[in-house]
Amino acid sequence: MSTTMPLLNVERLSKSFGTHQVLNKIDMSVKLGDVTCIVGPSGSGKSTLLRCLNYLEVPDSGVVFLDGDPVGMRWHGNTLRQMSFNELAAQRQRMGMVFQSFNLFPHKTALENIVEAPIIVQRRKKSEAVAEGMALLDKVGLRERAHYYPRQLSGGQQQRVAIARSLAMKPAVMLFDEPTSALDPELVGEVLAVMRQLAEDGMTMVVVTHEMSFARDVADHLIFMDGGVIVEAGPPKDVLSNPQHTRTKAFLARLL
Amino acid sequence: MAQDLKSPTSARPDIHETKPRPLRHPSWWIGGAALSLFVVLFIRLLVTNENLHWDIVAQYLFSPEILAGLGRTLLLTFVAMIIGLAIGVVLAIMRLSKNPVFQTASWAWIWFFRGVPPLVQLIFWYNLALLIPTVSIGVPFGPELWSASMNSLITPFSAAVLGLALTESAYAAEMIRAGIQAINVGQTEAAATLGMTRSQTLRRIVLPQALKIVIPPIGNDTISMLKFTSLVSVLALPDLLYSAQMIYSRTYQTIPLLIVATIWYLVLSTILTLIEHYIEHRLNDGRPLELSLILSSLFRIKFGAPRTEVSK
Ligand SMILES: Nc1ncnc2c1ncn2[C@@H]1O[C@H](COP(=O)(O)OP(=O)(O)OP(=O)(O)O)[C@@H](O)[C@H]1O
Ligand SMILES: [Mg+2]
Repeated sequence: MSTTMPLLNVERLSKSFGTHQVLNKIDMSVKLGDVTCIVGPSGSGKSTLLRCLNYLEVPDSGVVFLDGDPVGMRWHGNTLRQMSFNELAAQRQRMGMVFQSFNLFPHKTALENIVEAPIIVQRRKKSEAVAEGMALLDKVGLRERAHYYPRQLSGGQQQRVAIARSLAMKPAVMLFDEPTSALDPELVGEVLAVMRQLAEDGMTMVVVTHEMSFARDVADHLIFMDGGVIVEAGPPKDVLSNPQHTRTKAFLARLL
Repeated sequence: MAQDLKSPTSARPDIHETKPRPLRHPSWWIGGAALSLFVVLFIRLLVTNENLHWDIVAQYLFSPEILAGLGRTLLLTFVAMIIGLAIGVVLAIMRLSKNPVFQTASWAWIWFFRGVPPLVQLIFWYNLALLIPTVSIGVPFGPELWSASMNSLITPFSAAVLGLALTESAYAAEMIRAGIQAINVGQTEAAATLGMTRSQTLRRIVLPQALKIVIPPIGNDTISMLKFTSLVSVLALPDLLYSAQMIYSRTYQTIPLLIVATIWYLVLSTILTLIEHYIEHRLNDGRPLELSLILSSLFRIKFGAPRTEVSK
């Protein structure tokens, strides 16, 4: 892949729920290895944008390109048609997603959560998947919790397992939707630390967050959304310390 | 109590040493005594009534005819449950599919088999040959590959299995559908983002969780099924009840043989309840269950915690 072509490219993405236009012709791109943080007031469409990236939400119009391939669609001559669910499933393996509410599988242990998709979807050898799963648990600091069920883990631990579960598929990009918003304040740090480490390792990440210090320190690119459009975007230092738009100023002023 | 608080601490009993004693209302004693009296009278009736003929009950309890009937009752219960559940899973998935043809077909099936009494169905299936004399498998409008007369296919046993399993399938479908719907959409979304296909998600993520929710009602249904199988005596299928009936039609020992059947039904339903509680418990926290816990859960009636006071 050439370094000039972005890993993710979003072109004129629009989405409405009923008459409510939630995303209005969004354009954005994410370069390989970059961390992009999306901030904005509640209801501005951040989650919807993120869920359109991996086609959990079907956009009304516009296209998301992952490494040049349209997501959820395939070329038919000069037009795009929706792909089958199984084709989409294959494509989704390249995009990990971490949810606000963790969504671990409650009937499986931490390790089983992690090795499930590599074994079932990628048909990897069990011993191999388990070895890699343990390595991932090590990476998120939970090796000794491998055989615990989700309900026996704290929120922060569950979210770290969820991150490891996504990483096990070796995705090209990781999407995070407010990964620390459901956590008690004292547990936020451990999850952010794992995400910082991931960024340092060069993982391409798109993170919807309210953690401004994380955005300032880790993001290469910061996007401020409001009312379904990208109001302002750029390096986090510029956007945070020298916002150009009144809406950005108002949003940041409320956070301080 | 109020005096206690006013009196010097040395005079007050140490509340940390005393055990709270349950406070009982007079009705607890009166009601209890009255009921105990009834129980004693009832047991006396059971023991002294000549017509019960406990000796004959004992004589037939383990007779080969009764035991063979017992075996058929068990077989019928399990075969009907397994077929009913298998159809129920398919119906539930069809009901939740986006395809309106599947939805409607499933709805109609459930509507029909929930509405028709099992007894009517049993008789209907048994007389199916009157409606469809022969069945054949072949290419539609083409050569016939296999055919048989309905009379040879429909035995009392297959008619019984059909009637009971199809009734069960309708109830199982609704239970399983509710179980599937109780699973958070976050679970399917998480599976989707991991690249799982719809059928992988269903098999590996949704159904195992739904099944756990559905275990208690399935247990209840199995016990109901055990009792419903007694309907097959109308087809002259020698299950537990019909075996007892055959014996008392020869010996005229009606009551003792009905008691034999009753004892066995109670034994079986008790065992099924124990198994159900065991499975349920295993699913809940994965560790093996102590016998005492299962036994106590058999009579899981919970009264409010009794009010307590500190006794002196
Ligand atoms: N499935 C849906 N059906 C109808 N409306 C929806 C749906 N999902 C989101 N919306 C609406 O779309 C708007 C944007 O929602 P979205 O979740 O993208 O906002 P957000 O920026 O993530 O907000 P928050 O910070 O609260 O998570 C909201 O007004 C929401 O009510
Ligand atoms: Mg959101």
